[in-house]
Amino acid sequence: MARKLSRRDLAQYAARQLTDGAPYKKIAMQLAAYLIESRRTNELSVIIRDIAAHLAYMGHVAGTLTSAHELNAETVKAIETFTKQKTGASNVSLDTIIDESVLGGIKLELPGTELDTTITRQLTILKTRYKKA
Amino acid sequence: MSELSITQLSKELRSAIEGLETAGDLDEVGVVLRVGDGVAWIHGLRSAGYSEVLQIETDNGITEAFALNLLEDEIGAVLLGEDSNVKAGQTVRLKGTVLTVPVGPELLGRVVDPLGRPLDGGPAIKATAQGLVERNAPGVMDRKSVHEPLMTGIVSIDAMFPIGRGQRELIIGDRQVGKTAIAIDTMINQGKQNTGVINVYVAIGQKRSKIARLVERLKAEGVMAQTIIVATSPSDPASMLYLAPYSATAMGEYFRDNSEHALMIYDDLTKHAVAYRQMSLLLRRPPGREAYPGDVFYLHSRLLERSAKLSDALGGGSLTALPIIETQAGDISAYIPTNVISITDGQIFLETDLFYQGIRPAISAGLSVSRVGGAAQTPAVKSVSSHLKLGLSQFRELASFTQFGSDLDDSTKKQIERGQRLTELLKQHQYQPLSVWQQVVSIVCVTAGYFDAVPVAKIKDVQTAVLTRAWADHKKEMTILDSGAKPTEETSKLIETVATTVAKGFNG
Repeated sequence: MARKLSRRDLAQYAARQLTDGAPYKKIAMQLAAYLIESRRTNELSVIIRDIAAHLAYMGHVAGTLTSAHELNAETVKAIETFTKQKTGASNVSLDTIIDESVLGGIKLELPGTELDTTITRQLTILKTRYKKA
Repeated sequence: MSELSITQLSKELRSAIEGLETAGDLDEVGVVLRVGDGVAWIHGLRSAGYSEVLQIETDNGITEAFALNLLEDEIGAVLLGEDSNVKAGQTVRLKGTVLTVPVGPELLGRVVDPLGRPLDGGPAIKATAQGLVERNAPGVMDRKSVHEPLMTGIVSIDAMFPIGRGQRELIIGDRQVGKTAIAIDTMINQGKQNTGVINVYVAIGQKRSKIARLVERLKAEGVMAQTIIVATSPSDPASMLYLAPYSATAMGEYFRDNSEHALMIYDDLTKHAVAYRQMSLLLRRPPGREAYPGDVFYLHSRLLERSAKLSDALGGGSLTALPIIETQAGDISAYIPTNVISITDGQIFLETDLFYQGIRPAISAGLSVSRVGGAAQTPAVKSVSSHLKLGLSQFRELASFTQFGSDLDDSTKKQIERGQRLTELLKQHQYQPLSVWQQVVSIVCVTAGYFDAVPVAKIKDVQTAVLTRAWADHKKEMTILDSGAKPTEETSKLIETVATTVAKGFNG
């Protein structure tokens, strides 16, 4: 029976292949085959997070930027610059998402870290403080 | 620089500080993978420390958990609240601290949960200080040897198995033999004798009705004002039962570290071990003997080591512990009992047979021990206890001969009769602890033979009569005796006079 590879090992392998320029389809097929054979397909979402985390460690940060309203290009650029400064990444790529439920502010989700200045989060904190009081 | 400009500078600084807005920063986050049975498995948060508090953002606010399993790919965190609010996919943040609880005099007279939240319906506790739930025990050089007595008010304990401030004395026995009763009497005695010792009673998985009765009893005896009760019931999550003794110890340590004296009662550590076993199995830790995790000894040793007598340089405060362990069918060689016996500085063993014979407290003189012994005994009690121990040990050896009745020689008969009177003397009603002078007078009356002619069944009555007469006629001398000083010859003669006079009226 094949040795069980930890999620971290899988993520490191995939991240290295991607940064070396291997095609997405090839890596995807390899990972899919391994996950199906080892019956670990339910770990897929977690492995994707681990790959993103490892890529970030290697200087390639991919994240999502959520706001209640559409942000202009300057704002997005400023946030990308902020992300580069904070993470030390050489390459930043952000997917923008419009979600009215956050009410206001922005939520920047990066691998393993997050900046959440949304009104929804402030309300959650207020709710907790009110319950404690 | 003129005063005016300093004031101006101060004003400008304050206004500048208020005006500054802190920019947000990236927080390390994780995500809940799955949750169930009070445990949440979390992905991410690679810099989380052992026992660090995690904050899970749920729809109903933030639920806290603490990290207990730090695995390569995920963290097993035990929830500090209901797991019904926590769902997979929710964001988790590091709080940046380990678990703390409110500590200080604001908790006195209150009933709280292991997180310091009030359970007695009273106002919110506004404590100014926080204590670490998990904390290192004082080092060797930070301690002083145990030398001050902690009087329980129970004659057999104070005379034969004395407890000192800073000692750990285990109370062990089967169910319903009076373990908690001894603990309660000890707490009541701290109030009655104005010792200034703060009581901290930890109810681990105890019925709420029992806790309510305890609170009522302590209020009736006027002791509640110097008592803190940390309560968990069987319906609380295992994480709360696990934390309860550690949180309570943090509350007791506040007084220890501020040159005061506190008494911890852990009722009981058997349920604590069971709760920890449940948590460990749910965290997928490998089970050991009796399915307990491998570190179940460490669970109790690190708790009980925090009870200590501090050196004078650190204020001389103390934290005394009376842990309680429940045995099954009197088996003190089982896993958890032997663990705790080896940790503590002695044990008070309660026997079911003695209980049903009417000997209450049902303390086994043969199996009980105090490793601190006379070093922590008041001189007054120490001077009379040797005769008590000798008389009882001789009686134990001859106990099997009592059935022979008149076939025995006079010396053996005398020892048996003395032993029966000593056994009768050591019986004590609940909630009636005796002070030092009362214990000394009572013991002397029997060991010196003043009650030899009194029938065994009337020993308690004559004891009460002697104590009443001694206090009424010789209050000054009894007060001096109560201070703990060894009885003088005059005091001894006085006791003899009172005892022989009163005993005449009870002679058979």
